[in-house]
Amino acid sequence: MQRNERNLIMSDAVSRLRRLTALILKGFLLLATALSLVAVLLIIAYITRDAFPFFKLRGLGELFKSTAWFPSGHPPEFGALAIIFGSGLVTLGAIVVAVPLGIAAAIALSDILPYRLRQTVKPVIEILAAIPSVAYGFFALVIFAPLLQNRGGSLLALASWIIALPLGLLLIFAVTEIATRSIREDMVKPARLILAAVLTAILCRSLLALSAMLSAVKISSGTNALNVSIILGIMALPTIVSVAEDSLQAAGRELREGSYALGATRAETLFKVVIPAAGSGIIAAIILGVMRAVGETMVVWMASGNAAQIPSPWFNFLSPVRTLTATIAGDMGEADQVTGSSRYHVLFALALCLLLTSFVANLISEWILRRQQRRLGGLK
Amino acid sequence: MKILYGFLIVSLMAGFLGAAEAGKITVDGSTTVGPIAKAFAEFYMKQHPGVNITVSESGSGNGAKSLINGSCQVATMSRIMKQNEYEAAVHSEVLPISFVVALDGIAMIVHPGNPIRELTMEQIKNVYIGKIKNWNQLGGPNVPIVIISRDTNSGTYETFETRVLKGEKIVKNCEYVGSSGAIRQRVQSTPAAIGYVGIGFIDSTVKALPVNNVPPSPETVKDGSYPIGRPLYMYTNDYPKMGSDLYLFVNLFLTKKGQEIIEETGFIPVTNY
Amino acid sequence: MNLGSRKLFDRSLTGISVMAVFLMALSLLVLLGPIFSRGLGAFIFRATSEHRRMILEQFGRGDEEDVAAEMQAVARARRPLYGMLKKFEDELKNMEYGKRLGYRAQLKEVKNLLHDLLGPLPGEPETVMLRQEYGQTRWDRAQAKLGQILFSEQWDYSDKSSMGKKMLLPRRQFFAGTQLEPLFPYLKNNLVQMLRPHLVFYWRFLTDTSLDSHLFGGIWPEVLGTFYLTLGAILLAIPFGIIAAIYLSEFASAGRLVSMLRVCISTLAGVPSIVFGLFGLAFFINTLHLSSSKSVLAGSATLALLILPTIIRSAEEALKAVPHTYKEAALSLGASQMRMVLTVLLPAALPGILTGIIISMGRAAGETAPIIFTAAVSVGQPLKIWETLSQPTPALPWNIYNLATEHQAVDEIRHVQFGMVLTLVLLVLLLNLAAILIRARISKKMRG
Repeated sequence: MQRNERNLIMSDAVSRLRRLTALILKGFLLLATALSLVAVLLIIAYITRDAFPFFKLRGLGELFKSTAWFPSGHPPEFGALAIIFGSGLVTLGAIVVAVPLGIAAAIALSDILPYRLRQTVKPVIEILAAIPSVAYGFFALVIFAPLLQNRGGSLLALASWIIALPLGLLLIFAVTEIATRSIREDMVKPARLILAAVLTAILCRSLLALSAMLSAVKISSGTNALNVSIILGIMALPTIVSVAEDSLQAAGRELREGSYALGATRAETLFKVVIPAAGSGIIAAIILGVMRAVGETMVVWMASGNAAQIPSPWFNFLSPVRTLTATIAGDMGEADQVTGSSRYHVLFALALCLLLTSFVANLISEWILRRQQRRLGGLK
Repeated sequence: MKILYGFLIVSLMAGFLGAAEAGKITVDGSTTVGPIAKAFAEFYMKQHPGVNITVSESGSGNGAKSLINGSCQVATMSRIMKQNEYEAAVHSEVLPISFVVALDGIAMIVHPGNPIRELTMEQIKNVYIGKIKNWNQLGGPNVPIVIISRDTNSGTYETFETRVLKGEKIVKNCEYVGSSGAIRQRVQSTPAAIGYVGIGFIDSTVKALPVNNVPPSPETVKDGSYPIGRPLYMYTNDYPKMGSDLYLFVNLFLTKKGQEIIEETGFIPVTNY
Repeated sequence: MNLGSRKLFDRSLTGISVMAVFLMALSLLVLLGPIFSRGLGAFIFRATSEHRRMILEQFGRGDEEDVAAEMQAVARARRPLYGMLKKFEDELKNMEYGKRLGYRAQLKEVKNLLHDLLGPLPGEPETVMLRQEYGQTRWDRAQAKLGQILFSEQWDYSDKSSMGKKMLLPRRQFFAGTQLEPLFPYLKNNLVQMLRPHLVFYWRFLTDTSLDSHLFGGIWPEVLGTFYLTLGAILLAIPFGIIAAIYLSEFASAGRLVSMLRVCISTLAGVPSIVFGLFGLAFFINTLHLSSSKSVLAGSATLALLILPTIIRSAEEALKAVPHTYKEAALSLGASQMRMVLTVLLPAALPGILTGIIISMGRAAGETAPIIFTAAVSVGQPLKIWETLSQPTPALPWNIYNLATEHQAVDEIRHVQFGMVLTLVLLVLLLNLAAILIRARISKKMRG
């Protein structure tokens, strides 16, 4: 009893000792935490260290201005413009695939689907995120590429139907809405029906024509920018969906309820209230998703065709392209590392480009997310 | 011949001695020599349990680098070491010894549906540098050519570049794929394609074209009449200690079994049993 | 807008977003469907007698007497076939030169194909490579080979304006009137007796080593290599990850240093995986000399850095989810902060931390780019545990790439590639399933 009491009321010395150990422990914890900081610094340092000799030897201009990539030529040429462009092109493709799909899915998850369905959809996203990139690459190379090559036209036609039909119907609806605004009350319904029917017929007709045109397209090689874009888009989906959903959720019930109370429908609430509030978060989600596409190696290495060219016309997704990551992975083997040749260092220069891009993108998305947090926190 | 038999007997005897000391051999380098190295490794490991041979196929340049910084014992290369690699080796007190383990020819392949019967070196070059863009310029149907090449990290590419293109730049819309097997696959599935592979990769699914009137075959490569042939190398640091696992491994190509393995993997042996 | 159209607009939004979710699920299905259906083909397939002979001779499994009896039965069925070959060769000797030359090339092709289908023909010299010792071990491959024997591919170039057209010519016609002619119908009708296909469940695919660069056997070295790499990465990343999470959630005050640390963690999470690979090569191997060349250790260390942010974040979230009352109760009983963390906070957050760890294990197991330069080789023995410090290993992700793009016989080992992909995907999915289950239990506990 006596002893316990003494323990409870600590003497100054004991207390100081305890505080000291706590401080030391805290320092130790901080040290371990700082490993991430150290790792980031080391990565920058090492990549820069090995990239620097390239810039010293060949200057900045060639890498970013020329499209002639002949690392093994005599003399070698290191124009990476086409490669950077290739990375950009497949990323653009991935954005086109993933952003509309991802944001729509995020809206469904945050506001539309009932709770139980939401719980079953979430694992789908987790699985999509968990599947290793090499499995995606294998799929792209072994299953998707031959399919594109043999049935490319019909696939494109099918895709055009899937994309254009719902959007077209939506457009028709909007047009009939606007066109029948000034008509007499009792004529509105039949007028609308007729107009909608006519427009739908036109839509279907033009879609038929489009799909007939697309069916005739012959894809000479299945390993091309389109293939990679679609697969990268699917890979970027989980990131976009989960981050965008988080920020849609973060907009809070109060906002939504306020809007509903004013008589807005769910769609109006979403478009006029929730999305403006969560907009920056959605942008951050897109940035993070896009970075996944930019940094992906295996899929592009296996299925992009690896031709260091700027397609002509530049948006020709059916031509093979080469990306930064695939170039690093593919060329490392032959780069004479011992002799410190430009061919070795240029790969580090490319890695540095990648690294800087990812840094900037990360900082921006981090900044956006934090600002949103603060703002929404303030709202509450 | 006798010398070789003698060599075989010596190496077999040495094999029994060497089997006692278990060890590991790290092989790194060319993807072209990969099939030989992998088959040798499996053959050797089966005969000498306890020896672990790992084979990486990361490119000839990587093989040279690994040999020089001591991280592998055997570098497989589909080209000869470059001057600066030799210099770097000497600088780090490594003495590269080369073994020519097999010969290889680079065959031009097209889709079997392609009516083209043969090509000249000049035509191949013009196709790959972009001067000839359509099969009708070569007497075929009016179809644009799909040009396929090995990735620039391969010795096959470098050989092709130096022997066929002679320093001119390959056309930019050329597609690059990772291996000879992948080229064959692209060509067999793409009617308008042209590609080049090691002659071991020729099979009935593609059509290998005679170059300058010489068909690609082990015989024509061996007698030098086929214009695009090359030796394949293994490099070690200094000549390996006689009787060691390393010694037996890199000299496997001189044995009868080694010759069979090389023939079976589709390359041309330098021995003749 | 009137009410009706506003409602319709609302509905169409619902429709579009539900369709997006549906498309997402569909893409998952399209992706996993072929991987599962064809990947199972590596495990469940119709195995021929050659498969059973190979298993017995190479792996020492199976009943010796059964296999011997089966080989005899098979040999009985094959004897007439070999007899026809022999007769034709005798016939060939007495033919005039020009005719003989034409037949000989074709005969060689037929013999090669027969060898591929059935294994060594009688009288052929002993061979050195395994692929020469056995015929087709799988019935599906055997049937493909049979097709090649029965029909030879010819191309019709008569239309000058387009590429040639494929024609399948029965070889039987070519050999019409010779002793070889009956071989083709005989082979077609009796192939089942010659190879005796039976459905097997070859689960040993996972635990058998590969023979003759994956033409036979299983994928054990790759499975083991992936296991080592994942385990190593997790062991290296867990201590740092959890300590960092504890620090960030419990001890850190909102200062500049801490926000910089957070930025660093998210930056690290965003670094492209190929850059990790380059860094691992430049730092762990070329600078620290963890090992003289690629090794499991260097690969694990690289992977550990890659998964560190995931572990930190999930652990931090789990720690933050522990109710404040727990902490306050502990502190009010006089426990020091450290003690509170160790005895109250960590146990309470453990399931949450575990989910994070399991998910990052899946990530580490599946990453390819970081191990290309640091750990992966195409051929190697299964390693002993102490050898992981200095030796490289084959690993599932790298060897999927290698087999799919660099292997000499890409088409013939498709089933192995699919089997590997399925194994890897299943591994990752099971890990994720475990994480999902743990999480479900937590949320139940929290609610209850």
